[in-house]
Amino acid sequence: MIEVEKMGKPAIPIVSGRFEGDAVASSRAFGMPDLKWVIVPRIYRNLAHDLCASQTVAAMDDIVKILTASGDTSSRKTGPEPTSVERFEGDDRWDAVLRMNQEFMKRDLGDGFLLHPPTKQAVAALLKGTRLAADTVVCDMPPGFGIATVEKIAVNAALAGAKPEHMPVIIAAVKALSKVGGHGGKSLLMSTSPNAPLLMVNGPIGKKVGLNPRSALGPGRDNEINIVIGRAFYLCLKNIGYWYPNQMDMDTIGTTRKFVMCVAENEAASPWDPYHVDQGFKPNESAVTVFVTDGELDVQDQGNTTGEGLLKNLAYGSTFGTRSIQDKGGGERLIFIPPDVAGPVGKTFTKKQAREFLHKHCYHSLGKLIQYMPLKGEARVAKNWKWLENLTEEQLLQITVPVVDGPESFYLAVVGADRAKTAVFPSGPSPATVGIDQYLP
Amino acid sequence: MHLLEILNPVAPQRAMQSALQPNPRPKSLDGKTVGLVWSGTHGGDVALKTAGEELQKRFKNVRVNFYTGGNYPNPPHILKQAGEECDVVIGATAD
Repeated sequence: MIEVEKMGKPAIPIVSGRFEGDAVASSRAFGMPDLKWVIVPRIYRNLAHDLCASQTVAAMDDIVKILTASGDTSSRKTGPEPTSVERFEGDDRWDAVLRMNQEFMKRDLGDGFLLHPPTKQAVAALLKGTRLAADTVVCDMPPGFGIATVEKIAVNAALAGAKPEHMPVIIAAVKALSKVGGHGGKSLLMSTSPNAPLLMVNGPIGKKVGLNPRSALGPGRDNEINIVIGRAFYLCLKNIGYWYPNQMDMDTIGTTRKFVMCVAENEAASPWDPYHVDQGFKPNESAVTVFVTDGELDVQDQGNTTGEGLLKNLAYGSTFGTRSIQDKGGGERLIFIPPDVAGPVGKTFTKKQAREFLHKHCYHSLGKLIQYMPLKGEARVAKNWKWLENLTEEQLLQITVPVVDGPESFYLAVVGADRAKTAVFPSGPSPATVGIDQYLP
Repeated sequence: MHLLEILNPVAPQRAMQSALQPNPRPKSLDGKTVGLVWSGTHGGDVALKTAGEELQKRFKNVRVNFYTGGNYPNPPHILKQAGEECDVVIGATAD
C-alpha cells in the first residue's frame, strides 16, 4: 500500500492482529512509518467466508475513519534512533556483561544465548580482518533493508564471538543474501513458513578458518567455526536486516534452522567440481553461497551400492512437501550428499547427469502435492494450470508430475562424514554465491 | 564498579532516511472511486468485496474497482493501475 501512497493516493491495508508488529516494521522498512492500517482479529486465509465478511463489517468504522479526514493523523511513536555507543555499569566486568545481556535480551537483539560484548577494541580487531574501510556499505540488508556497513557487520560479528579471519566470510555472506532471488528473499524471510538461510563455503578459506565439512550441522566442538560464522550472520540479519521475530520474521512455529549454520563443502571427498566452480569461480578461489531452506529430511540408504540405486533412493526420498502451481515455479531442492553416496554416484554420473536423473525420477501425485492450496477461490494459480480446476480429486491424484520444474532446481553439494545418509532441504528462491577473496585484508 | 562501553549493533534503515508521510485524506468518500487490491490468497477477496459493499451503503455514488495481480506481493503494474484509477485504495494480504 505504501507504493500507492507514493503515487499520491490514500491507501490502507487490512491487517490481522498478530501482524500488527509486522505492519509497524514494514512501514519503517519501506519508508512510511506513519502509514495507517485497520486491524481485524483473525487471519482471513483459513477462515470460513461468512466469518471473513463479518469481521470485515465489524471493522468498517475503522476503515472509514482511516480513509477519511476524520481519522487519526498523529504520528506513530517509533522510538529513538539507535545511539552508536551504549554503556552498562556492573559490580565488575562480568556483571556489566550480564547487564548488557539482560538489556539486549529485553530488546531482542540476540539469539537467546550469551552475547560477547562488542567493545570498541573487539570491533577494531575484527575490522583488521578485511581490507574494506569501516564505513564501506556492503549492501542494504533484507528484509528490513538496514544499511550494512562493514562496521555494523563487525559489531554483530563481535556479539557472536567471531575472529578477524572470519570477517571476509561474514561480509561475503551478508552481500550474498542481498543477491538471493526476489529482493534478497524478502518475502520468504517475512513468511509465516520457516524459511531460514544456510551458508556454504567453498575454496581454500574453509580449511584455513577451520570450517567442518563432515558432520557439519550439529552443536559442539567440531563445529565451533560453523556455529560462530553462522551466528554472526544471523545477528547481522537481525540487527541490520531487522529480521526480528513477530516483526519481520513472522514464523508460525519457527525452526532450529534459524540458528544459522555455515558449512564447508567436503571438496576433498567429492567426485565432481566444487559447487562454486559450477557458479564460475576457480577452484583456488573462495566463495560463500546463501541458500534459503524451508525444511530438512534425512534420506537414509541401507545397502544400495550402485550410482543408479543410490540416486533412485535419493530421488524417491525427495518427493515430500508441496509443489507450486503458481507463476513462480515449482520450488527447489538443496541436497547435501555425503561421500558414501557421492563416491559411487560419481563413478557413473557427472553432476549434470545426476541432476537430470533426480529430476526424471522425483515424481509424485499432483493431487497430493497441491492439496495445500484449494484451487477454488485462489487467484495465484498460473494460467497454464487453470485446467486443473475442472478435474475431480480422484483425477488430480492420478496425475504424476515432477516435484520441481527442472534438473537445474536440484543443487548438489558434497557434505558429510562416512555413511550414506543424505540431507535434502526444500529450498528457494535461487541461491546466491559471492566471492570471499575480495574482502581479505 | 566497572563501566562497559559497547557499540550498538542496530543499523539505520535505508528507507527511513527519506521517510514519507501518508497523503491527506478526503473528507468524505461520496462520489469517490475505491480500489480493492487483492493479493490472490483465500479470504482476502471476500474481505475486500465486503468492504466495498459496505462503503457503497455508507456513502453516495461510490464506485468500486477490484484488482489482483494473482500473487503476493502484487506486481507493480497492478498497484500503479489502482493508484491511477482510484481516489483511495484498500488492500488485504489475508494475513
